[in-house]
Amino acid sequence: MAVEETGKLDALRQEIRAFLRKNLPKGWGTPEYVAPERGSKEAHELGKQWQKKLYDAGYTGFGVPKEYGGIERSREEMAVIREELTHTGAPPLAGSLGPSIVLPTLLRYGKEWQKKRFIPKILSGEESWCECFSEPNAGSDLANIQKTGVRDGDEWVVNGQSVWTSGAKFADWGVAPVRTDLKAPRHRNLSYFVFDCKSPGFEVRPLRQMTGDSEFGETFFDNMRIPHENMVGEEGKGWYVAMATLEAERGGGFQFLAPSRRIELTSLGGVDNFVELAKNTKRRGKVVWEDPVFRQRIAQFAIENEAMRYSRERMRVKAQKKQTTGNEQSISSIFSREKNQRQANMVAEIMGANIQFMKGDKRALDDGSWAYTFLRTRGNTIETGTTEINRGIIAERMLGLPKSRA
Amino acid sequence: MPIEYGLNEQQEMLKTMSRDFIAKECPMTRVRELMKDETGFSPELWKKMAELGWLGLVFPEEYGGTGMNFRDLTILLEEMGRTVLPSPFISTLLLAGLPILAFGTKEQKDEILPKIARGEVVCTLAALEEDGDWWADSINVRADRKGDQYVINGTKLFVPDAKVANYMLIAARTKRTENPEEGITLFLLDTREVWGILSTGLKTMDETRKQYEVVFVNVPVPAKNILGELHQGWPIMKQIALHTTAALCAEMVGAGEKALEMTVAYLKERVAFGVVIGSFQALQHRAADLVIGLEYARSLMEWAAEAIKEDDPDAITAVSMAKSFCGDTCKKVVAEGIQMHGGIGFTWDHDMHLYFKRVWASDTAFGDGSYHRELIAKALDEIHQLAGHGRWMKMPGRITQTG
Repeated sequence: MAVEETGKLDALRQEIRAFLRKNLPKGWGTPEYVAPERGSKEAHELGKQWQKKLYDAGYTGFGVPKEYGGIERSREEMAVIREELTHTGAPPLAGSLGPSIVLPTLLRYGKEWQKKRFIPKILSGEESWCECFSEPNAGSDLANIQKTGVRDGDEWVVNGQSVWTSGAKFADWGVAPVRTDLKAPRHRNLSYFVFDCKSPGFEVRPLRQMTGDSEFGETFFDNMRIPHENMVGEEGKGWYVAMATLEAERGGGFQFLAPSRRIELTSLGGVDNFVELAKNTKRRGKVVWEDPVFRQRIAQFAIENEAMRYSRERMRVKAQKKQTTGNEQSISSIFSREKNQRQANMVAEIMGANIQFMKGDKRALDDGSWAYTFLRTRGNTIETGTTEINRGIIAERMLGLPKSRA
Repeated sequence: MPIEYGLNEQQEMLKTMSRDFIAKECPMTRVRELMKDETGFSPELWKKMAELGWLGLVFPEEYGGTGMNFRDLTILLEEMGRTVLPSPFISTLLLAGLPILAFGTKEQKDEILPKIARGEVVCTLAALEEDGDWWADSINVRADRKGDQYVINGTKLFVPDAKVANYMLIAARTKRTENPEEGITLFLLDTREVWGILSTGLKTMDETRKQYEVVFVNVPVPAKNILGELHQGWPIMKQIALHTTAALCAEMVGAGEKALEMTVAYLKERVAFGVVIGSFQALQHRAADLVIGLEYARSLMEWAAEAIKEDDPDAITAVSMAKSFCGDTCKKVVAEGIQMHGGIGFTWDHDMHLYFKRVWASDTAFGDGSYHRELIAKALDEIHQLAGHGRWMKMPGRITQTG
């Protein structure tokens, strides 16, 4: 790399560090800092403010066209930003759904006004989004969506229910595929909408998960009206738009944002955290890190992380050469999610009986975050398409094996 | 040259050319003929590989090579892996050619490298002994000084292609101290010029790669035939291991990908219960798992090759990671390959067992998965102690070299 460029990157690094010193919440990174309750309104607001600051400073919105509020950054610059923000352990962003799944969907299928209206506020974090996809009888079999939309003048009248609506609690806007043609066959009967969560007839009820948290919701559509112009893509082609959303979700389409906290959160931090934990944990008088079984397992995760890092780069280059089909996302989706789960299992086994302590118990390590993650990872292999569905995608679309179901 | 993800145009050409060449010159029928041959060596094929420039691929032009890089070399190895090609390519290039290029004297390089490039000689390395493990302590074959020469005595095992090798590198013990890595010396032998070397073919599983027991009885070697420095052979051995391990990973990934292709093709054609068996979800999901494994095996293999090409200090980490993951994954692929073929996959006539045996043989060489994972654990420990939290992700060159 040329000396000049290196100089520029160093300057950027210094700039980010100054930004962090100025903008991080008071006491951040010290034991005195008390983070707002996970999933609380305060946590959400903190995330929103933080994302706005990042956006204003030009640390997010990469690769999104300027007219929609994006910014051009070189690979190296993005890497520096990601590095600096990750190492500070900068606060998590408010609702990642907007940037990670709605934004790519709109870029691909959105009408011009939709892109101009929604994308800048997605990037700045001013508006949060929810995803009304799964229904009680349409999970893995998403095409079985029963939510109906009936045309009434310039509007659609929507009735039905969603479950596992991510981000519902604080969402300003939502996306939903709706059955707009009751006679057309599966996959050709849906249309895809963006809608205002303040619309009359839209109701959110919390859905409590096995972690005890309610990060998802059940959402109800009772004669809710959506303007026709809010349709994304063509009428009756909503399935394909929905697939674009899911593809982005499976691939964790975070390229628009620098600080990808999500990976770290669900994987219980980097491998170094496991080393730290194993070194500080004794089982029957013996330091866990000295147990070859656990050493092997921890080393395996380091290996898998590096494999994933290199694969991401390979996919990026393949995508540039237009050699990808989108189905590759299923590979990384399965691997990373199952890895999260295996990691959490290992952590639980390292901690033994102590993994049982949840947040609020004075004996809970790191305020119960290990226990929480252990439970939370159960959902990783279900959400955004079960690993079984993803295996089916690989088998049918990548290997060309025949359909296994009618 | 920065790390490159995926193949550039020249590499794509190399891949296509080598695949076509091997399909034509060494189809599986020919592989089986060579398996039956005592040495498994085809001089005609060797000559043709030389004509294509493969044998001098990574040598500079002054030694008759084409000056290409290590990643280019692994592209050939992947293709060779795809046909479990019987050939002394790794023995000659990785076990002898590259170390001679890196550590040889001008005379040694002038004498041997152009001959390798022209396909006139085969080379190998006699390193392993009774326990078959690659570690300094087990090197007990002795080289004793007598005047201006050394006399070698002892037995080496698992020496590939020994019978057809014109030149042999021998790792011998010239001194025994508390540190077993001290006192190992590499000698370069012209096997046609000396008496006292007895190579006996070993009856081993993988018949596509012949291995030998080599007994040395009072074999004299002039002191000028030492490669590198006296007593300082182990660091050279470590570099040989680094490069050859990466090469074996490339070969394993090639073999694994071919084994999966064969299996998927079979799933599409074999009919049971009135449908092709590839429509059964139980098999589909297992096939998908193999795709996932190979994706990451390929990534680590390519990273290892790129890191070696770049002379990156991360190469040691990359190679250990690649070896353990590629070995584990490819062993699973070939085992599933047999299982998903059912009875036919268990027969001698079906090719799947050739892939199974090659992959397992490669996995045992230069340390298996658990050996390399322990090396990674040690590295993690060092990183942790050096800088504590977060240091791992911050290793130099990790993120900034993505251009």
